[in-house]
Amino acid sequence: MNASKLFVAAAAMSMTATTFAAGSHGGGHGSSIGEPGNAGDVSRTIQVEMHDNYYEPEAIEVTRGETVRFMIENKGRLVHEFNIGTPDMHEAHRDEMKMMVEHGVIQGGKLNEDMMNMDMGNGHTMKHDDPNSVLLEPGQKKEIIWTFSSKTNMEFACNIPGHYQSGMYGDVNFDSAADTQARAD
Amino acid sequence: MKNALMAGALALLLPVIAAAGEYSLTVDRVMIDTGDFVKEGIGYNGASPGPVLRFKEGESVTINVTNNLDEPTSIHWHGLILPFEQDGVPGISFEGIQPGETFTYEFPIVQSGTYWFHSHSGFQEPNGAYGAIVIEPEGREPFRYDRDYVVQLTDKHPHDANRVMRNLKMMPDYYNRQQQTVGDFFADISKHGFMTALQDRLAWGDMRMMKADVEDVQGFTGLINGKGPEQNWTGVFEPGERIRLRFINSSAMAYFDIRIPGLEMTVVQADGNNVQPVTVDEFRIGVAETYDVIVRPKTAEAYTIFAESMGRSGYARATLAPEEGMQGPVPELREAPLLTMADMGGMHGMADGDMATRDGAEDMDHGNMSQGSMEQASMNGSSGMAADAGTTMARMDHSGMDHGAMIMAEGGASDPFYAEGSGLVPVAANGGKFLSYSDLRAQKPLYEEREPTREIELRLTGNMERYTWSIDGVKYEDAEPLKLQYGERVRFKFVNETMMTHPMHLHGMWSILDVGAGEWNPVKHTVSVQPGTTVYMETEVDAPGQWAFHCHLSYHAASGMFRKVVVEGGPDQGNTAGVEVANDGGDA
Repeated sequence: MNASKLFVAAAAMSMTATTFAAGSHGGGHGSSIGEPGNAGDVSRTIQVEMHDNYYEPEAIEVTRGETVRFMIENKGRLVHEFNIGTPDMHEAHRDEMKMMVEHGVIQGGKLNEDMMNMDMGNGHTMKHDDPNSVLLEPGQKKEIIWTFSSKTNMEFACNIPGHYQSGMYGDVNFDSAADTQARAD
Repeated sequence: MKNALMAGALALLLPVIAAAGEYSLTVDRVMIDTGDFVKEGIGYNGASPGPVLRFKEGESVTINVTNNLDEPTSIHWHGLILPFEQDGVPGISFEGIQPGETFTYEFPIVQSGTYWFHSHSGFQEPNGAYGAIVIEPEGREPFRYDRDYVVQLTDKHPHDANRVMRNLKMMPDYYNRQQQTVGDFFADISKHGFMTALQDRLAWGDMRMMKADVEDVQGFTGLINGKGPEQNWTGVFEPGERIRLRFINSSAMAYFDIRIPGLEMTVVQADGNNVQPVTVDEFRIGVAETYDVIVRPKTAEAYTIFAESMGRSGYARATLAPEEGMQGPVPELREAPLLTMADMGGMHGMADGDMATRDGAEDMDHGNMSQGSMEQASMNGSSGMAADAGTTMARMDHSGMDHGAMIMAEGGASDPFYAEGSGLVPVAANGGKFLSYSDLRAQKPLYEEREPTREIELRLTGNMERYTWSIDGVKYEDAEPLKLQYGERVRFKFVNETMMTHPMHLHGMWSILDVGAGEWNPVKHTVSVQPGTTVYMETEVDAPGQWAFHCHLSYHAASGMFRKVVVEGGPDQGNTAGVEVANDGGDA
């Protein structure tokens, strides 16, 4: 591996991260996945366990406008991701994750943190720090606070190569009763 | 009171009954219709392939096998871990099943995944005696799917397998239709120059082999689940579903390159053991191997499962479609690969053949070898060949060589499990990802990692001119059994000195393929060794008794590339001296 390759990888990653940010803050598109929430607005906590290679639970129910705290724990022996997004966003993100594996940032059961934080020049890094996702080594725990501002076709997914394709994803189901109620209001 | 007692007794019995599956198989003469020809063969329960046996991990199975043939038979449960008396190899595990006899197999199911079963008597397996095994795991699987299909391949030949063997013995190139012609020779001359083409051709002549010897038995029709390409076996799906395809290669001789144009395939299991999922466009399945893949067709169209044989002399075809009767485009066969000098096993002084450190390119720098040297290292005299080749190389004058004069594989595809410059390195039809052994990682290590207690080198040897195949130059009839000690961890070093690929299958114990991933090395039952390469696998010797160990190409096994393995010691018997089985040669 050489530095220029790494730089290309990092640049590609930050590029898509920017695209993502535009999408999530655009608002009014009807396909918004929501936004990072405030701890004060949290109405409930959902525990998510990551195993090799599946989630428990494999579906969650949310209500439009709700702010949820996800407590995510990797109980497997491999690195896993918890990422909230639309199927298209996941598909785009899978190319970045593939790059991270190819460049040795993700190595089976380990994350090479040094390489992730390495300054590739122009402030680019291979950090995996989007607010809608966490990337965990075995045994690690992290949380995400997320506000589901509008109803859209969403999944939570692990985009490490092969994991999503073999079934490591779950459905985000919007509570339709509550939604009807919200519209009536 | 009596009733209550009865009910109580029944209730006690119930869990036992629930955990014991009973199955019956008859071994029958059947007709096999490939669409190209109809041929009498052997099957189970009146058909070839036989039924899919569905077991559950943790149960004990009883399988009654009734032999309706007029010759002895046997069933080997390929890849299953079981007591050796149940392994079904006549002359090694048991006496075989005589005509008219019903033999009852009984063993616990201690694993899960996709496997298969086949006769281990004579050439009954290439004549049709095979079927699939699907074992449901006790816990949840590390992947998800909405439906699954067995996709069992074979290379059905119009000739009876006994006749194929006789013809090969008489004339080893009897079934080789890809032989190079005078026309090819002139094409080579215009492409590479006269002297190079001539020397290349002379070298191959001295090897008693031809560049087109990728497949030594051609002229077959590829079948999927018993259906020829025109009969088009079809698996139905709803768009958006995940489908698990359980590929099993039950061929006598053919390796297949498998792809489904328009779909990527995520490999989740190899030889019944889960692997960390890897998404590919195409993969090569060796004889006796299994690969489970998950595909997800999102649109309501027909997708072709296309399986070209490695030598491109035949293909199998099936379809995934929203409904029966739909068809997708069927691709053309790609051009047949030609072996290169790199595929000449043992020719390059491969004593340093460590996968990790071997520099194949350096080997190939010996490029334009003189014909005299070639003669000394010819394929004849299979024993001691590595040493001969090494000496020859050492004596050669490297200085005057014309690098690159040898006709080499073009395109530069490489795979650490193929010789550098090999003509056999597979390339995906769409230019995408082709699965390599080096991509395989165990999903969950089966054994604790430890140093092997010893290494056993096995040279895979043969003489194509006489169609003899052997291990260390000794064929089965003349060989002593290979003795292993219960509790040891043996590192096997396969050195392929022939120009053919050999799928090596050890019965009864797992083959941990060394891909350089330590405890994550994948666990298999069949390990392919490509020409001119050295491959390592390790085995935890944890199954007492005696077992077969052989190349799974039917005609290679039958010609002598076969060993009996005796595991000495062990928890229950202490030794295997009491085993009363005649050593009259395990049938392939």
